[in-house]
Amino acid sequence: MSAEIQNNPKPLLSAHGLVKHFGSSRVVDGVDLQCRSGEILGMLGANGAGKTTTLRLCYGFLQPDEGSVFIDGIEREKDPDGVNRLIGVCTQDDTFDTDFTVQDNLLWFGHYFRPRPTDLESRVRELLDRFDLSRYAKAKPDTLSGGYRRRLMIARALVHQPKVLFLDEPTTGLDPQARMAVWELVDGLRNEGLGIVLTTHYMDEAERLSDNLLVLKEGQVVSVGAPRTVLGDLVGEHVVVLDAKIPQAMAVESWLEKEGLSEPTRILNTWQFALDGTGLARFSAAFGELRFEVRPPNLDDLFLQLTDDDS
Amino acid sequence: MRLYLAMTAWQSWAVLRRHLTVYLRNWHTAALPPIFEPIILLLVFGVGLGSNIPDFDWKSQNVSYLAYLAPGIVAYTVFMTAFFQALFAAYIRMHYQKTWDGQLTTQVRLEHVVWGEALWSASLGLAYSVIVIFVLIGFNLGGWLDLHWSGVIATLPLLFLAGVAFAALGLLFTAIVPTIDHMNIPFYLVIMPLGFASNTYFPLESDALLAQAWLMINPLHHLAEGIRLLMLSGIWSYHLVMAVFLFLLMILILLPVDLRLLRRRVLGEN
Repeated sequence: MSAEIQNNPKPLLSAHGLVKHFGSSRVVDGVDLQCRSGEILGMLGANGAGKTTTLRLCYGFLQPDEGSVFIDGIEREKDPDGVNRLIGVCTQDDTFDTDFTVQDNLLWFGHYFRPRPTDLESRVRELLDRFDLSRYAKAKPDTLSGGYRRRLMIARALVHQPKVLFLDEPTTGLDPQARMAVWELVDGLRNEGLGIVLTTHYMDEAERLSDNLLVLKEGQVVSVGAPRTVLGDLVGEHVVVLDAKIPQAMAVESWLEKEGLSEPTRILNTWQFALDGTGLARFSAAFGELRFEVRPPNLDDLFLQLTDDDS
Repeated sequence: MRLYLAMTAWQSWAVLRRHLTVYLRNWHTAALPPIFEPIILLLVFGVGLGSNIPDFDWKSQNVSYLAYLAPGIVAYTVFMTAFFQALFAAYIRMHYQKTWDGQLTTQVRLEHVVWGEALWSASLGLAYSVIVIFVLIGFNLGGWLDLHWSGVIATLPLLFLAGVAFAALGLLFTAIVPTIDHMNIPFYLVIMPLGFASNTYFPLESDALLAQAWLMINPLHHLAEGIRLLMLSGIWSYHLVMAVFLFLLMILILLPVDLRLLRRRVLGEN
């Protein structure tokens, strides 16, 4: 977390009671969220949990049925133009203007904002340099590799110097090297004081980048806070991993049922389940002869738990 | 009302400017069809076919087929150009190029995108019609035509209005066709009949009630006849007033429907 957060307690983005229906389906159901300057808010959830819809409500692509969104104290409904001037959006899919070159994509994007970005041409040059795109300035975006396309998408979202940046699954489909390069860029933007809202399917990405996590399930916030707090709330203190083929498997299942715990998560030939400190002590006492691994919970456990609950 | 006011918003004109910029990069190839198409049509139909058609009586004056055809091509050009820009070109930007999605992450909203597309389609329709008018001036100078030019300049705003109305019709199909292949349906069932059964290429005159009703509510018919009377006789007719009325009605009715349908298609809104 950057020093900006402590210095800026007032959120740059705050949303209250967001509700959105598609037909009879309540896709977003009373979501509240906040993001401060110099903070990355990671939004997590299984497919269909409402992440992208919540993000779209925040950046104005969709209008909420209920609730309100404020950017830097300005209510979106009252001043959509004012709010949109303060935000940058990097969508999940590439939405370049394929009729223009890389450089002209940045320049033209600047034309879609008022007040106009000051000294747009030098801003574009600065972004091309910063995102290592200068050598592709005259190329068409669709000739770039996946990693450079993402760089261009993020650079384009920054051309008008927004205060809040929305990143919808910014590294999906990238190789590990390109993902890490994007992480570095995002981390740099956080350190400059941008408020960043990020959705991702990659748990390592959420864990490494996020200052706070917001976990959605069926359109509702099930947990929000620092990653460790969210994991403690939703998963538990410890995760026990053991071989699923052990003779005592039935006994372990019975013990979990007796303790009122859910069934273990099955991953290939292993079982995993979360326990608190006293639960772990009781498990060790009951199955002292078993060989098992104990590790701290991670966001993969949380994600599996959310999807297991859904199934 | 917000939708109609969006026509004047800077965002709508920024979208228009974007389309103009892309077009001007390819102007030398893009401008060839609108220049050559009317020349070919006038030569093939007006001069070629027309030489086999004796002069005929139209609105109490004797006209050649070439003279009859020339104003019809002006009206037909604005119709087809604006409609096709709003149909094919807008569909490609919306569906394949995702240009709209990118614009919608800025201060541009969907009503601006819709207006930008409509204004651009109308601008192109007007520009191509003006090219046709220049071609007709060439025919006039060559002695093949004898047209009145005094009122033609005054019809340019009407041609632009017609372009916006036909673009609104095109955007309706852009919003509802499931795939680009389905565009054949509006083309053959709506556009071809409308384009030809409007006194553009041949006189459609009948005492049948149905034909009279069709011509009365057909804005392209009024546009073609209005321009024809102006060019052939220098007469400002009620057709021009009817054309303005029907185009305004089309814009008032179709654009909100377009926006509602596109909101559903592009944004996924109900």
